[in-house]
Amino acid sequence: MSFLAPLTLVAGVLAAAAAVVLHLLTTQRPPRAVLPTTRFVPVSDARAVARSSRPTDLLLLASRVLAALLLGAAFAQPVRDASGPAVRSVVMLDRSATVADAAAAARMAGERLTRGGVLVVFDTTARELTADEIAAASVTRAPHAAPGILSAAFLAGTRAGRRVARGADSVRLVLVSPLAEEEFDAATSALRAEWPGGVELVRLPAQTDSARGVPVRLVSALADDPLAPALARLSLARGAHAVRIVRAVPAGTDSAWAMEAGHVLVHWPTPGAQQSLADGVTAFGLRAATMVAPLVRLPIGTPIPTPSTAPSRVIARWRDGAAAATESALGAGCVRSVGVGIPLAGDLTLRAPFEHFLAAMVEPCGGALGRAVSDSVAQRLAGGAQAASARRLAAGASADPALAALLLAFAFAALAGEWFLRRRRSA
Amino acid sequence: MAAGPYGALLDAVRGVRWPARRPVPGGVPGAHQARSRGIAPEFAEYRPYRQGDDPRRIDWKLLARSDKAFIRLAPDHATLGTTFIVDASASMAFAGKWVLAKRLVVALAAVAHASADPVGLVIAGPTRVGRVPPRARGGVIAEIARTLDAVSPGESQPLAALVHGSAARCVVVTDALCDLDPLRVALVRHRARGGEAHLLHVVAREELEPWAEPRLVVDPEDERIERPLVPATVHEYRARFDAWRAEVATRMRREGLAYQEVCDDAAVDAVVRRVVSPVGVEGGR
Repeated sequence: MSFLAPLTLVAGVLAAAAAVVLHLLTTQRPPRAVLPTTRFVPVSDARAVARSSRPTDLLLLASRVLAALLLGAAFAQPVRDASGPAVRSVVMLDRSATVADAAAAARMAGERLTRGGVLVVFDTTARELTADEIAAASVTRAPHAAPGILSAAFLAGTRAGRRVARGADSVRLVLVSPLAEEEFDAATSALRAEWPGGVELVRLPAQTDSARGVPVRLVSALADDPLAPALARLSLARGAHAVRIVRAVPAGTDSAWAMEAGHVLVHWPTPGAQQSLADGVTAFGLRAATMVAPLVRLPIGTPIPTPSTAPSRVIARWRDGAAAATESALGAGCVRSVGVGIPLAGDLTLRAPFEHFLAAMVEPCGGALGRAVSDSVAQRLAGGAQAASARRLAAGASADPALAALLLAFAFAALAGEWFLRRRRSA
Repeated sequence: MAAGPYGALLDAVRGVRWPARRPVPGGVPGAHQARSRGIAPEFAEYRPYRQGDDPRRIDWKLLARSDKAFIRLAPDHATLGTTFIVDASASMAFAGKWVLAKRLVVALAAVAHASADPVGLVIAGPTRVGRVPPRARGGVIAEIARTLDAVSPGESQPLAALVHGSAARCVVVTDALCDLDPLRVALVRHRARGGEAHLLHVVAREELEPWAEPRLVVDPEDERIERPLVPATVHEYRARFDAWRAEVATRMRREGLAYQEVCDDAAVDAVVRRVVSPVGVEGGR
């Protein structure tokens, strides 16, 4: 057991020492003695303080000392020390969809997990695995479908690190993850900064299904479709047709194509002669993309009949919350219906907001899996490989309320005993 | 008397004489110079013969030479009765004060009795059981010793009233913790009547140098008075006690009383020699 506020414990010890001193300097009346010249002794309190070599009322003293020490310990924020080696490890294992080989990831995590360490698995949430769960190979189960959240991992890892730091010299934090872009968010760097040491990175291969490099085919009757230049800027490499944007009503061949695995059929009609109005729309892709421009609200609907049980999700919304684009599964692929009319005239499609919006519209079915971050970002995240000092970790740890309550209960019991002894003595 | 506990003491003071401070009234012939002139063989002076004088005291040879009748006078000697008034209050039971008082009285009585002076004793105790009238007969010292040994200090009695009926030499043995002013007045009056007044102030060593350990001291004559005698108060206690003793000695000697302060660990025979010495009597300590 250790204490987060040792000064309070010192205060308790001082209080106990004061009790001992007071028992030595007890107000016990000194022994009576006859002295005929008592009249010449100055008048003072007859209960003179007397010093004795041994403390009096040992039971009373013991109860008081015990109460003082227990109160000091209870308010010193006690924590239980974990048993284990001096250097412990906290391994954060990515089990999200960004991991290409979950089994290899689990194996790497297991190799870095030391005795007394903690394994934190995370996807969109993070949790610690017990020893039984680790033994039951829970870490090798099927990964989560969504990208992981590093913020949650760092939050849980830091908390676990502070706990295992009690009784250790230092704690090493290990992150086993491909470090995909979508796993970072605004809080990641702040939560990473909460860990006082470095992070050992074990980078895994990521799923490589970025929108970039995916061939996009535009099926449009317009000779100068405004999407064309935007798609030209978006697609870096052309190959197999994985995304097909149909500006008119999809044909049967389009439907058949969309049913194949990895194919995305985007039905994005043109606004025609409708008047565009200033409006805003946000797409929920790999990165949220918001576009404010003269737009035309088009009705959205699935031009291709899909099974009634097929899930449909909104992938873009107007600023008033109305759905602007939806995605429905079709066979092994999916069909998207985009109700955002792009004016045929103007340079909207050449602007960055539209480029981001377009990237979200051509993401793979179920959402994109981003690229792995660069080495510089990873190094900044690691911040070195040194383990965190247990002392620094303990400074931010929280007390064990159950232990404090237990000590407090014992302290009150000792005080009750002291009261009983004092009352019995005065009776 | 039987040797008893006082044998060695009496041996130590044997041969010591206790002369009177001034001529005593004439009376039974004794060792002290009397105020009157007698017919002793020693010549003192001549006085013209007056009618009524004993013709046998006329110095016939002088009459023959001078044809005038003179009476031949010689110094007279008388006894001096001594009464010991002993304070037997509860405070006298402390330490060795009572033992010292007994030994002092026995020794001084023996010294006085050796000069054929009648000695008596009055114990100012609970019941005044110790009263021995002044006597010069043999065995009175033993009687005084027995009387003293039979008494234990207890409730106090006023000493001043006992002075009035005492013999010409009045010796008060007390620790002076009684009502001292009436006693002083009584002794002064006794001296004015031509008597001798001695005050032997008995103190205990523990009173002069109290214990180093803290004590809750209690007055034996009034148990309601209890005060802590601790290192913080012992210094002031000693200062007060010393000042009081000095004041008592000064006042007694200023009134012409023979005052002696005697500690209970003092050698009694040495104290006796100091008391009986004329210098000691007049000069005090």
